[in-house]
Amino acid sequence: MFDAFPFSEWGEDIADFWTFGGHNSTGTWIMTVLGFTVMLVAFWGFVILENRKLTAQADRLKASGALNRPSATTGSGA
Amino acid sequence: MISSLIPTWLAQTPTIEEVDAKVALDTQILTEQFYFWTVVIMWLIHVGFMAYEGGASRRKNLMSTAMKNILTIAVVTPTFYYFGWYIYGCFQEGWPKSGHASPDVFPGFCGATAPWSAAMGPNLQDHVSAVFFLAFLLFSWTTGSIMSGAVIERIRLSAYLILTAILGSVVWIMDAAWGWSSGGWLTTRFGFHDAIASLVVHGVAGAFAFGVLLNLGPRIGKYTADGLARSFRGHNTHLTLMGLMLIFTGFYGFYAACLVIQSTIFPGWLNIYGSPTTLGAIAFVITIGFAGGFTGGWFASKGDPFWTLSGGLAGVIAVSAGADVYHPSLAYLLSISGGMVAVWSGGYIEKKLRIDDAVGAVAVHGVCGFYGVFLVGIFAGGYPTGVNNIESSFGGQLMGMMAFLPLAFLPGYVVSWILKKMNLLRVPAEVELEGLDLAEFGQDFYPEFERVPEIIIEPDGREVDSAPVLLDAYWQTNGRPTAPAAVGEERS
Repeated sequence: MFDAFPFSEWGEDIADFWTFGGHNSTGTWIMTVLGFTVMLVAFWGFVILENRKLTAQADRLKASGALNRPSATTGSGA
Repeated sequence: MISSLIPTWLAQTPTIEEVDAKVALDTQILTEQFYFWTVVIMWLIHVGFMAYEGGASRRKNLMSTAMKNILTIAVVTPTFYYFGWYIYGCFQEGWPKSGHASPDVFPGFCGATAPWSAAMGPNLQDHVSAVFFLAFLLFSWTTGSIMSGAVIERIRLSAYLILTAILGSVVWIMDAAWGWSSGGWLTTRFGFHDAIASLVVHGVAGAFAFGVLLNLGPRIGKYTADGLARSFRGHNTHLTLMGLMLIFTGFYGFYAACLVIQSTIFPGWLNIYGSPTTLGAIAFVITIGFAGGFTGGWFASKGDPFWTLSGGLAGVIAVSAGADVYHPSLAYLLSISGGMVAVWSGGYIEKKLRIDDAVGAVAVHGVCGFYGVFLVGIFAGGYPTGVNNIESSFGGQLMGMMAFLPLAFLPGYVVSWILKKMNLLRVPAEVELEGLDLAEFGQDFYPEFERVPEIIIEPDGREVDSAPVLLDAYWQTNGRPTAPAAVGEERS
């Protein structure tokens, strides 16, 4: 059944089809630059968002007194 | 009647050219399938690393540990696509190029590795480039995962992601271009031989991790004021052991992907340098390498389960460089020594150098990676390597080791030093004490299990409640975890 399909012709039709253009085309270059930029932004986001979380949690812990020196805590209590 | 059928038969009989075309297409599809399935199997390495490191972490750090392994894929994949693969394609001859006898084995390969090239997208004429890229990408993830275990429980996720992108998409792939390719200058000039990547993957990742660990420092409470090592108890040893077994399974895909399949050319398989070998030969060595490594690890660690399994990994890494050459008996003996070297060097790194490598990655991957290449210089000297047929030698192996040690260690050390100066390398001490999962994700990931006191093992073997020990260590360093020597100085 598949022998009846004109695969060779279809192959030629789709061989050079890439979304936004073939290789080395302006469209491909634009997509590459966009993807690269998003990748860099993602790195920046990983750093900034995590830093906010960690700093806030560290501040909360310090303020809570949970990490006070044990001897100091018992001393004042006594 | 028969004579009337002859024209029909002749018409149906393909010409030599047609048969050639069909065989060529079939060969391409076989190659495509081969690399595709190695990629699938190699995913198990990452499943394994995640389980291994998750089990080795304390309960409070489980998800932050696993998230590193997951996001390794998120950052190494695009960086490798955008520039890592290009480095492999275009930097094989080193710099400067003049005087390097690197034959152009794959003309145009450099241009084909750029992200906008015809080989890096849907292409009916090229079945192989995409899956070949993917196999290398999985190696890149592996280098990141090797470092990942060493730094758990105190590194920032974002710092790890930056470091792993540099390791996976610049450092390791540069060394692969130099010494793990058919046109690499170390092989074409010096006969450097590291067939299944003892050094170019494992050793380099271990050396990079070592550089990072020097700046990262130990986990709070890891060392006493006198510099003696305590042990943290991982929250799930079963998970760790299962993870290691998954890594072992994935290694078969890793090994297979290190070969080039050429089904129409005798003997059907080439190593990465273009020298003939067989899949059976390396499968034999990896299997007996595990056997020897387990044995060596068991005896050297006196039956410690973690080090017995790590010894298996170390044994395989120790024989990987010469896996296409070694006789199984030789591989067995060498892998026993590899398992032992990992245990001994792991103890030395932890107790003498006072480097807190949470899973022994520097010893297992780093030390045994270099050891494996060293062994080739001794036990496979004279073996002709690569397209220039240059004999492997101890000098050539030494050249590779001298090139790769600074290539791996310096970027790890320098980048982590910069991150440290920017206060972006390590989590705040308070977060480390409480556990990273609560800060990063706001929850405990075993909600149905009651929390029990966390145990720490003192240098004399006593198991004690870790809370007062860690709190004391926190205050001794004023909330700034430093090297144990500094802690001792502060006390005195």
